Amino acid sequence: MAPIEDVSGPTSRTRSRWGSRLDRREGRTAFFFLLPGLIGMVLFLVVPIIASVVLSFTNWKLLGTPQFVGISNYVRLFTADPQFWPVLRNTLFFTAEYLVLNIVISLGLAVWISSLKMGQRWFRVVFFLPTFTPGIAVAIVWMLIFAPGGFFDFIMRSMSVAMPNMLTDQTLAMQAVIIVSLWAGVGYNTVLFNAALDMVPQSYLEAARIDGANAWQRFWKIRLPLISPTLFFGTVMTAITSLQVFDQIYVMTRGGPGNATATLGYAIYQRGFQNFQMGYASTIAWVMFAMIMALTAVQFWLQRKWVHYDN
Amino acid sequence: MKLTTVLAAAFLASSAFIATAQAQEQVNLTWQMWGDEKDAALWKSLADLVTEEYPNITVTAQISGWTDYWTRLPVLASSGQIADLVAMQSMRMPSFYSILEPLDAHFASDGFDVSAFETSIIAGLGHDGTQYALPYDVGPWMVYYNRDRFAEAGVAEPALDWTFDDFKAAAQKLTEGENYGYAVQSFDFVAGPVALGAEYFNDANQFDVTNAGYAAAVGEFVDLVAVDKTSPVFASGAGAITGSGRFAAGNAAMYIDGPWVLQQTKDSVDFNIGVAPLPRGEGESRFITAGSGWGISATSQHKEEAYKALQVLTGPKAAEILASAGRALPGRLAEQKFWYDVAAKDVAGTHEVLDYMFAHSTPFRLNEYWNEFENLITQYMPLALNGDSTTDAVLADIQNQLPF
Repeated sequence: MAPIEDVSGPTSRTRSRWGSRLDRREGRTAFFFLLPGLIGMVLFLVVPIIASVVLSFTNWKLLGTPQFVGISNYVRLFTADPQFWPVLRNTLFFTAEYLVLNIVISLGLAVWISSLKMGQRWFRVVFFLPTFTPGIAVAIVWMLIFAPGGFFDFIMRSMSVAMPNMLTDQTLAMQAVIIVSLWAGVGYNTVLFNAALDMVPQSYLEAARIDGANAWQRFWKIRLPLISPTLFFGTVMTAITSLQVFDQIYVMTRGGPGNATATLGYAIYQRGFQNFQMGYASTIAWVMFAMIMALTAVQFWLQRKWVHYDN
Repeated sequence: MKLTTVLAAAFLASSAFIATAQAQEQVNLTWQMWGDEKDAALWKSLADLVTEEYPNITVTAQISGWTDYWTRLPVLASSGQIADLVAMQSMRMPSFYSILEPLDAHFASDGFDVSAFETSIIAGLGHDGTQYALPYDVGPWMVYYNRDRFAEAGVAEPALDWTFDDFKAAAQKLTEGENYGYAVQSFDFVAGPVALGAEYFNDANQFDVTNAGYAAAVGEFVDLVAVDKTSPVFASGAGAITGSGRFAAGNAAMYIDGPWVLQQTKDSVDFNIGVAPLPRGEGESRFITAGSGWGISATSQHKEEAYKALQVLTGPKAAEILASAGRALPGRLAEQKFWYDVAAKDVAGTHEVLDYMFAHSTPFRLNEYWNEFENLITQYMPLALNGDSTTDAVLADIQNQLPF
């Protein structure tokens, strides 16, 4: 990066003219080199994004021609749709609980693994396995476990624990979805945090030990601040994926019982591909996009308070 | 003069040759269908029938899974990639008739007579009096029951006109510990209440699921689960399929499904099964039927050839093949006997039950929001079944979310 900056930051006029000509020539070359990627991005990212913005102002039903309906989809979403607020609440509830549990559990596992004298690699692989197992397959197996009269009910009954079925109870259904999401999602963060913990210089920890810091203090005062950039990355990515949760819900609950597990991601699928209201589904997608953007921006703003960059 | 004659003769001969060549032009039709891999050979044999009859027409089946089929269909239709021949289910017709070619003009041109087909499914594959598809199968929802369990519990086998009270008494007697008398599925809340005489629509064909008659009938079925505990609760994720599994495992003595699963059910159980009509209310028995068929895409480039192929695919020979394989109870009345001889051979009372049910069939009322309604039932009904909510509250919630 540095030499290019030097060229584009000339001091004299002659150099500037020469430099800008070189710039243009290099720019043109670079443009052609970047073209394949650019075409792909425009075709598969920019055009669909623009199309979905346009769609969100129409009443397109997949069949027939779309008609422009102004902002009425947005008005309907915020004022008339009886499902929007419960769906939004479910999404935020899922994200909050899943995010906190995921970060706490994966950090705990990462610390535990890094403290092991042997078998570190083995445990890392074991916890990472669910990450590259297809989500739909995982959810189907868990659905069978939690199904009424299934394996989970059998275990609970044989331990004489009287509890309602996980998938048919309004409160427990969301917890079932969270358990499955945790099972599938914790491994990635565990490996991420574990790698960061291993990067913490031993000299810092030794110095602290000589100064009389106990294990607890060494964790809170040295290791945690030093891995905070990784922790931040993990938190932001986990928050984004959990706001988009879909697979588990599609397989396990279809948003039910009632609307107990209906989230924004599922609502988009339901409106778009079950009810064929593509315009309305695009509207929900854009509201979801705005929400994710806003929450991510808040996280970036908050990071100043707790993330420490070494440089 | 002579030269002119020769030229004229040559011109005539060549144009006649071109015309013959055009008539013999090979047409390859695509045929969009749902189904399992194991059915592929069956569809292939139907496609071969078309080529046998019309050597210049070949038909290539494009098969996808049931759920994917309905997601792909509108996408393919709106992007202009839809096949020439399109499979359609009667319950989806109000949503998709616009992508199909009306068949009435074709029928008029060759005097095709639909009276060879069962009337309720001909109605089911039409919309507003226009025919859009011809059926390959048909069937009403009926009660499958475990004859061994009935005998063990000392319960008399169902009569053709048994009432809901008989059904309930049987379910109660057959329930013992972990073994249920009945396994409810989400569609039972459509077929069941209709058989009891209730309507989910108002006179304008719009959803009115909170009307007293429908709410009471749904309540009867809910009580079997919530109050009498004769059936397990289904979970919203798998509401439409768990009953068949429990029935096959011997865990539930009765469940409701159509003749399209009879062959498969018979093969997967190790006990004697029987079928019975759905229980009636205080009035006459009445049953809804459904079925599937094939139509011609409205945008097909080869409509004439597709119409010829369609007649073969839904013709007597094809119906015989599908029926003899146990794949479908034919929409063609004359070929139904092949299905009775094969799929229904060891199943007590199938012929009488289906005859009775077809004689008492009632039009299956549908509109373009039908799919939404079915999904909402699957999603919300568990709340009433497990006692978290009341039937009235659940139906109000469903009504609230339907466009009408």
